[in-house]
Amino acid sequence: MAEASDIIQVADRDGVALVRIRSSAILSEAEVEAFGEALAALAEMPVRRIVVSFLGVHHLTSLVLGSLIRVKKLLAESGGDLRLADIEPHVYEMFTITRLDRMFRIFERGDEAVASFRSEAEA
Amino acid sequence: MPSTRRPSGDSRAWTEKTLPTHLGAIRAVEAELMARLLDLGYDEEHRFAVRLAIEEALVNAMKHGNRMDPSRQVRLRYCASPECVEISVADEGAGFDPAAVPDPTADENLRKPCGRGIMLMRAYMDEVSYSGSGQEVHMVKYRTP
Repeated sequence: MAEASDIIQVADRDGVALVRIRSSAILSEAEVEAFGEALAALAEMPVRRIVVSFLGVHHLTSLVLGSLIRVKKLLAESGGDLRLADIEPHVYEMFTITRLDRMFRIFERGDEAVASFRSEAEA
Repeated sequence: MPSTRRPSGDSRAWTEKTLPTHLGAIRAVEAELMARLLDLGYDEEHRFAVRLAIEEALVNAMKHGNRMDPSRQVRLRYCASPECVEISVADEGAGFDPAAVPDPTADENLRKPCGRGIMLMRAYMDEVSYSGSGQEVHMVKYRTP
């Protein structure tokens, strides 16, 4: 079983959890499971605002998309949100094909996604 | 066991493998096919599409077809030529009706975490067809400039 720390790195940005993915591809069952569980664990903590940065990620599968949807729903139940950033064009296309680009707020850069939460908090 | 054979009437070399129902078995065959496509000069866009499709097909065969039953196997056949890549994946499950799979992009299904694999395969490959009672999927990706 892959450890969460093998898959993701989490940084606190003024109450927003910025999650970076360590691997260029999340493919194996263990990686997908660890990724989903790590995000779900974050969502169950006081952290309600999460940004996942896909910087350097060249490949995903539908299993990962499923994990993202589960965590977004979990966060939404408590008024939080999961936002995405740094998605390269090939991978972004998967979101548009599946229409998930309408479900998720997707930003070009991680700091823009973090700032979007901040600006809402200040409004 | 992996083998290379030529089906009757087909002069191209096909690689055939029998995989255990274990998701960890996918990465090695995927890497082998990707190396073959790189050797043949396929660009990143084609390799991305084929990698995604074979991954989704094998995951579907193991999870939904064989229901992760370790006593069942998955048969993979592929043929990569300079013109196209053909892939067949067959499971030992009960089969399914591909036409009955709900559209994952419909508003009522958008928030469901499953059901996008087949759609992605159809989006990225040029041909996707099912035979038997849905136990075998056949996919083709043509090389385009």
